Amino acid sequence: MKILREILLAMLLAGVMPAAVAGQYETIDYFVQQMIAQAIAGDDTGVQTFREQLENLSRPEAGDAAQARLPQQQGQDQFAHNRFKEALAAFRQAFIANPADPDIAAQLGSTYLRLGRLKEAERLSVYGLSLMPAHSAIWLTLGQVYGQSGDAQRAAGAFANAYRFAQDRAQLSERLRQLSGPDNAAGVRDGASQALQAMPSAARPAADSSPSPSPARSAAPTGASFTAAAAAPPSAPATGAPLLDSLKRGLAALGQPPTATTPAPHVDGAANGDNPGQRIYRRSIPLTCLIVTLRNGKADNLGSGLLVSTDGLILTNDHVVDRADNLTVRCGDREATASVRRRSKSPDLALLATSLKSPDSFVLNASYSQNLIGLDVFVIGNPYGLEGTFSTGVISGLREIDGVRYIQISAPISPGNSGGPVILRDGSVIGIATMRLKDGQNLNFAIAAADIVASGLFDPARMKSRSTQ
Amino acid sequence: MGDAGRMAALALAVWGAAVTPALAQDSERNRYYVQQMIELAASHDEQGVIAMQRMLEQEPRPTATDPAAAAAALQRGQAAFRQEDLNAALSAFQQASRSDPGNPDAVNYQGLIYRKLGRLTDSERALQLALALDPDRAVAWFQLAQVYGLEKDDRRALGSLANTYRYAQNPMRAEEILRNIAENETADSLRNAAVAALRLYRLPVEPAIVPPLPSNPGIVPMDAPSEPARAPRPAPTP
Repeated sequence: MKILREILLAMLLAGVMPAAVAGQYETIDYFVQQMIAQAIAGDDTGVQTFREQLENLSRPEAGDAAQARLPQQQGQDQFAHNRFKEALAAFRQAFIANPADPDIAAQLGSTYLRLGRLKEAERLSVYGLSLMPAHSAIWLTLGQVYGQSGDAQRAAGAFANAYRFAQDRAQLSERLRQLSGPDNAAGVRDGASQALQAMPSAARPAADSSPSPSPARSAAPTGASFTAAAAAPPSAPATGAPLLDSLKRGLAALGQPPTATTPAPHVDGAANGDNPGQRIYRRSIPLTCLIVTLRNGKADNLGSGLLVSTDGLILTNDHVVDRADNLTVRCGDREATASVRRRSKSPDLALLATSLKSPDSFVLNASYSQNLIGLDVFVIGNPYGLEGTFSTGVISGLREIDGVRYIQISAPISPGNSGGPVILRDGSVIGIATMRLKDGQNLNFAIAAADIVASGLFDPARMKSRSTQ
Repeated sequence: MGDAGRMAALALAVWGAAVTPALAQDSERNRYYVQQMIELAASHDEQGVIAMQRMLEQEPRPTATDPAAAAAALQRGQAAFRQEDLNAALSAFQQASRSDPGNPDAVNYQGLIYRKLGRLTDSERALQLALALDPDRAVAWFQLAQVYGLEKDDRRALGSLANTYRYAQNPMRAEEILRNIAENETADSLRNAAVAALRLYRLPVEPAIVPPLPSNPGIVPMDAPSEPARAPRPAPTP
């Protein structure tokens, strides 16, 4: 009975105690949100008041700065080369060694953002602001987090605070102008535009000339790389041609060099409308390539590829080219020979060099999170030689097979699609069609662009990547 | 805690009181309380955990027989530990415990060394003793979680990791440590426990994607020549 009484007493005591665990973060978050709300309202005094509240919170115990230094440097190097997974590992190590350093928290938060892990990015940013409430870079990250989450208003408040605390306001204004551009998610664009409009007039002239969001712009794909392609006349195989003709042409490509011209597609008035599939098709087809491999002087295999740089680099699967003596490619209506520049068995990738310079190239989307599941995808390739075959589906899942990350898609693909792009609505490439489940129903797999960006084949100086989900 | 949770904690406590022998050694009673803290943490019963913590804190502390000798032995142990002389360190920490049985640092180190030596049962016992002396010692909870992970005891690994987070001085740092384990740890038990602990606290985590696909002979690269680039996988077992 004595034990029982003691337990009851202890439970009673426990009942009046606050939960110890979650309180710290929530307190910080409350003040951060207040700073945002005051910034939105343009209340400088209010922002200052809650900044002081944050500064009055107890600081975490200092960590081991010396131990954190090396991984932090490694993280910075990896981040500069767009190797965000590696940067995450390094910054995490640095943060665990020294969680009291606001710059490390900022860098970790920013890396999460680039990986599309918005919740983690938000938490690290909010925490970082408890260490240094006037850390402009953290506010900028937080604004992007909210913008990518679709909350343009909070993004605007965070961006306003980024500007407020920036040491170099001109530079920050320029950054906000970039964020207000069409390459960014709508919430980021709108938030940055609102913040720019709220700035003192001295900071605004260039901002006024920046594109303000409009319904038409919001509806357009955000990929900058597509701007030129959209204006260019589309060139692609005739989608309306009889299947047999197309099949014959594709099969003929196996036996002889590709023809010099490819019929232009039939584009009716509807293609100029808002149908996202039509837009994606017209803009992506010049950047999608047919790859024909030659072995012992004869055509041996065919597959697909995608232009990933303006100087003619083409990405495809290694298994498309692994037995080839020679390679020819056709991207849009242009043809060239190709050489293998780099290759990898795992992930199954090859990078081809060609002379096909292009004003445009695909952007790889390095996002890889559960948020992707359910998004529409579009696949272009050359199944069985049927050039420029376009199919649609959704992202059905994320899979890791033998250490390689795959995007599982429901869009139909067949032999000949290998190496072709899997495209999101915004025009970015989320994966490369690679495998299918034999006898399955549209259980197809694309190597995640996140793994391509993380691989040795990715050249950040020549290729473009981003993370939006 | 809701009524149901309170009743559950009460029932556990009553059950524990009933099955704890009246003449049990203190260490057994302490072990019981520590185990209750683990189980209640795994059930996310915060107040139940705190109740058990209070019980432990009310237990009498053993008094030091020779504090000076204990402090000297502790320093020797730490020096040997830094030089990775585990046996010498263990011996010194045991001596520190004999001189001051209420010193949680000495037994905590013993638990750590036993784990490094692969003596998991001894490690668990030492860490439980450390926690009985100092129930909000996050580092001891973390080490205990690793022991349970090695023993493939998912439930207790989860409870111990949950308490690691609960008692962490810097919860954000603990959160990042848990995420690191959840995303990179190769030992399934500990990794899964970290994922579960983060979810228990509704913290974001991106576990190692999904469980690997079951073996399936049908997954082959498209365009594969006559010999597929990837060897076919064995058929799934029934």
